[in-house]
Amino acid sequence: MQPDRTAIEELVYRSCLALDEKNFKGYLDLCEADYRYSITAHSPEIRKDMIWLDHDKPGMQSLFTNLPRHNSDHSPLTRHATVYTVEVDAAQQQATVVSALQVFKTSLDGGATELFAVGRYIDTVKIDAGAPKLLKRVVKLDTRQFGFGYHIPF
Amino acid sequence: MSKTASQWNQQPSFPPSHFVDSRIYTDEQLFHEEREKIFNKCWIIACHESEVPGTFDYRTFYHPGGTPLIMVRGEDMQVRSFYNVCPHRGNTLLYDPVGNAKRITCIFHAWSFDTKGNCTDISREEQGFQKRFCKADTGLREVRTEVGFGGFVWVNIDDDACTLGDYLGDSLNMLQDNMSMPLEVFHYHKAIVDTNYKLWHDTNSEFYHDYMHYFNRVTGMLQPGYFDRKYTGYPNGHASVGSMEIKYDAYEGGQKRGVGWPGLAPGGWILIDIFPGMTYNLRTSVLRMDTSIPLGPNKLLIEFRGLGLKSDTPEQRAERIRDHNTIWGPFGRNLHEDLLGVHGQGRAMHPGGEPTWVIHGREENMTIHDEGGMRHFYAEWGRRMGRKAYDPYGERKITAAA
Repeated sequence: MQPDRTAIEELVYRSCLALDEKNFKGYLDLCEADYRYSITAHSPEIRKDMIWLDHDKPGMQSLFTNLPRHNSDHSPLTRHATVYTVEVDAAQQQATVVSALQVFKTSLDGGATELFAVGRYIDTVKIDAGAPKLLKRVVKLDTRQFGFGYHIPF
Repeated sequence: MSKTASQWNQQPSFPPSHFVDSRIYTDEQLFHEEREKIFNKCWIIACHESEVPGTFDYRTFYHPGGTPLIMVRGEDMQVRSFYNVCPHRGNTLLYDPVGNAKRITCIFHAWSFDTKGNCTDISREEQGFQKRFCKADTGLREVRTEVGFGGFVWVNIDDDACTLGDYLGDSLNMLQDNMSMPLEVFHYHKAIVDTNYKLWHDTNSEFYHDYMHYFNRVTGMLQPGYFDRKYTGYPNGHASVGSMEIKYDAYEGGQKRGVGWPGLAPGGWILIDIFPGMTYNLRTSVLRMDTSIPLGPNKLLIEFRGLGLKSDTPEQRAERIRDHNTIWGPFGRNLHEDLLGVHGQGRAMHPGGEPTWVIHGREENMTIHDEGGMRHFYAEWGRRMGRKAYDPYGERKITAAA
């Protein structure tokens, strides 16, 4: 089948919007049942690739369920993705999608916005007959310092 | 009942050892004095031996006393430390956080040094210095270095300091059986927070803030025996908290654990605070090490390391990483809460703000919610600073026991 690049790009953008709005159900609805999510970073200091978060779909659901029970910074995040490349594997009915990611944080008190993180989304998207869905997302971060931190994944 | 200004400023109704003046967290003068009297006198963890595994591997470190350092492994496999400062014109010698350097060469004028700190080359030496000065007259400033107690690389700026073993005394005995195998760092990240370093060490020294963590409330506080853990204070301001059982399966999404840690009971937890700002924290299958590096009275850099066994299989390592990140990773459930807590303290007790009292008054027979761990720290702080934490400038009229 001919992949619809616009639909794939929109999937990436919708995933950002859902997380920005803390619409966790909406986010998980964009994901396949065997979805896998991870956040990775490379540490030059210890010369190692690191995995900072790694969940399957039930793990993400559990994480989202527990988030409101924790004390957290409530400053909203704005995820800005730009889809760079879409490489289709027709036989697998999948596409590998690489997007640039910037995450901005806006303070509740006064509304100042700061750049919080940069990195990339490396997504595997299922592109069979229905609407494209996320099968796998690796958030590959360049930023490794987040001040006092944040709970909600990028 | 709310308080008027005079009531708010009244001495708390505790013995003076049970409260401190908030200016110890905010004053520039005290911060500079702490660098001189504490950080430049105490043994500090600079890195782990696994970060400089091979000959000529180096690691840089911003020492909390204010001096940049290099730790480098020599041809003889010994790790030595030097000021990361060229003796010629004071330039930085090594810029990258890690690397491999048989010769340490300053990019400014190409003076070169070996891994024992000897100067091996001065460019156009004779033309510029004739017979007045030569390589043998200069060299790198070496800093005392010992490797141990889990394979950490410890440094001490003070040439006359006691040995590392004497400094630590018996404080790490509780971990002796748990650190007999070579360890390896698998996680490293930094956080810079607008707060004082002592407030982070306080957070690592008291468990009463369990109430801040949903995770702790469901995995620890509801379990029998939780409140029985005891603080033990050691000379030089170190303190430990004994092991306990944690019910990780009480946290939804908690995973069944299989790897564990040598000598640690399943669900066990050992925490040891080393003066003035390092914490060994062993639980599940991971050893976490925090190192505090104050950048100012209200600015703190914390280095976070996660360690496993060097002998780990890929599967074992993967489980340790999972265990680490669930609680302590940058997106872990507890770390953000702890950092948010000290950020809040830094925001409330900022430099130039009105001094206030900070209470360390809980007494529960030195068990887990007793604030004796912090009292032990501030007794040592006062001894080294020659000041009282409750009256740092000797101006308050403090009664002995209120």
